[in-house]
Amino acid sequence: MPQTTIYRSPRSLGLQDSPPPAVDTVELARLFGRSPALAGVSLRVEPGSVVALVGPNGAGKTTLLRVLATAIRPTFGTAAVDGLDVASYPDQVRSRVAYLSHTTGLYDDLTARENLGFAARLLGVEAGEREERMTAALEEVRMADAADLRVRGFSAGMRKRVALARILLAAPSLVLLDEPHAALDPDGMALVDRMLDAWRGVGVTVLLASHAVERIAHLVDGTVRLDGGLVAQVDGTGVASGLFSPPRTAPAMVGAGR
Amino acid sequence: MTTTRRIAGAAWTIARKDALAELRGKHAATSTLFFAALVLLLFGFALGPDSRKLAEAAPGLLWLAIVFAGLLTVARLHQVETDDDALEQLALYPVDRRAIYAGKVISGLVAMLVLGGVLLVAVAILYGMDLAPALPALVAILLLGALGFAAVGTFYAGVTVRMGAREVMLPLLVLPIVAPLLLAAVKATGAAIAGDPSGELGAWLQLLIGFDIVMLVAGAGTYGFLLEDV
Repeated sequence: MPQTTIYRSPRSLGLQDSPPPAVDTVELARLFGRSPALAGVSLRVEPGSVVALVGPNGAGKTTLLRVLATAIRPTFGTAAVDGLDVASYPDQVRSRVAYLSHTTGLYDDLTARENLGFAARLLGVEAGEREERMTAALEEVRMADAADLRVRGFSAGMRKRVALARILLAAPSLVLLDEPHAALDPDGMALVDRMLDAWRGVGVTVLLASHAVERIAHLVDGTVRLDGGLVAQVDGTGVASGLFSPPRTAPAMVGAGR
Repeated sequence: MTTTRRIAGAAWTIARKDALAELRGKHAATSTLFFAALVLLLFGFALGPDSRKLAEAAPGLLWLAIVFAGLLTVARLHQVETDDDALEQLALYPVDRRAIYAGKVISGLVAMLVLGGVLLVAVAILYGMDLAPALPALVAILLLGALGFAAVGTFYAGVTVRMGAREVMLPLLVLPIVAPLLLAAVKATGAAIAGDPSGELGAWLQLLIGFDIVMLVAGAGTYGFLLEDV
């Protein structure tokens, strides 16, 4: 099995004592018009944990990830990444978070390598390291052979692989993945599984939304079930304050590490 | 690395990416160019074969063609960001929002300079004018006019990029704002072609410079808000 290359964040290297929770939301609500996609989620994820968000369509999984990625702002309540409020310090949060959304955000007229080069520059990867990292990331997602082809001709699975390679360029402390296994073939799914393991190995926190509950069960430390924009259930090792914690009483403690 | 260098580096990266995408999807840029040339040709037909009348109207016709084609250009430069929701990804990179605006303005400026250069040649050929003596002044006017238009157009392309009726909304929002720029550019172009007999060229250039500064500062300060909640 190929070795997954993950670049380690300073925190994952243990350079900071008693770090704050990787994710800390308090009464987090997000409305679209009058419809609440999140209706008061209080959640705390410990650093280095791999936590799954599960639940039916419209439960609020994607909205929660987008708030944490700073793509959208909370309507009420607070959300913090590594102790940094997402609304007050969005720039600092962005430099710590890598986000894979439903869409891949690639440019059709650029090749896979050019897309990664663009991302690497904006992510601040040093010029001397750029080519090496891009090559390693493309090899990791098994896209080295298609590196110099334009993305326009790629299948959904190939685009997803390039988007995953983009995450490998960064050195995030928090990785947010929205349906990471979707559109991938079995080899691609195994790749995501390896990446999750590798992130855990270096202490990067991962929060992933998924409908593939059985597939991810053995890959995660904790599971948060959302329903109707609220935390319905919390499972997993290191759960504090009981297995289930209503969102309007106390933060649900999940993924306190294995 | 200083903030200014970081912003400049990110802006250059974004402009370079846009230029590459424009070159690869050259059919879109080419069709914009043909559209602008067609506008000039049709205005020529509308005014008739009187070469004196055409020469008098040439500055206005040139800038109308640049503005119409410029609208298509700035819209296209933002449209590329909506394919596969690249705009959200762009907004999530840890870069200063002013860099994203600056990058898009540079992309628009370069595209419009190419467009304006081709249209200047087209005016000279279609309307039978000798523009060579006024070329340095015309280049300066084109540069300032294109920069001002790119500053305004980039901002409003960002406003309308997610609207359903953006093809209609973009001209409605941009054209009233660029009216002073259009006036100054047309007057300056006319003065430059005529050899500046009344010495007004400098004043119109100053107006263009002032317009550019105000619009660039306003755009850089506010464009970031357009990327919130994308």
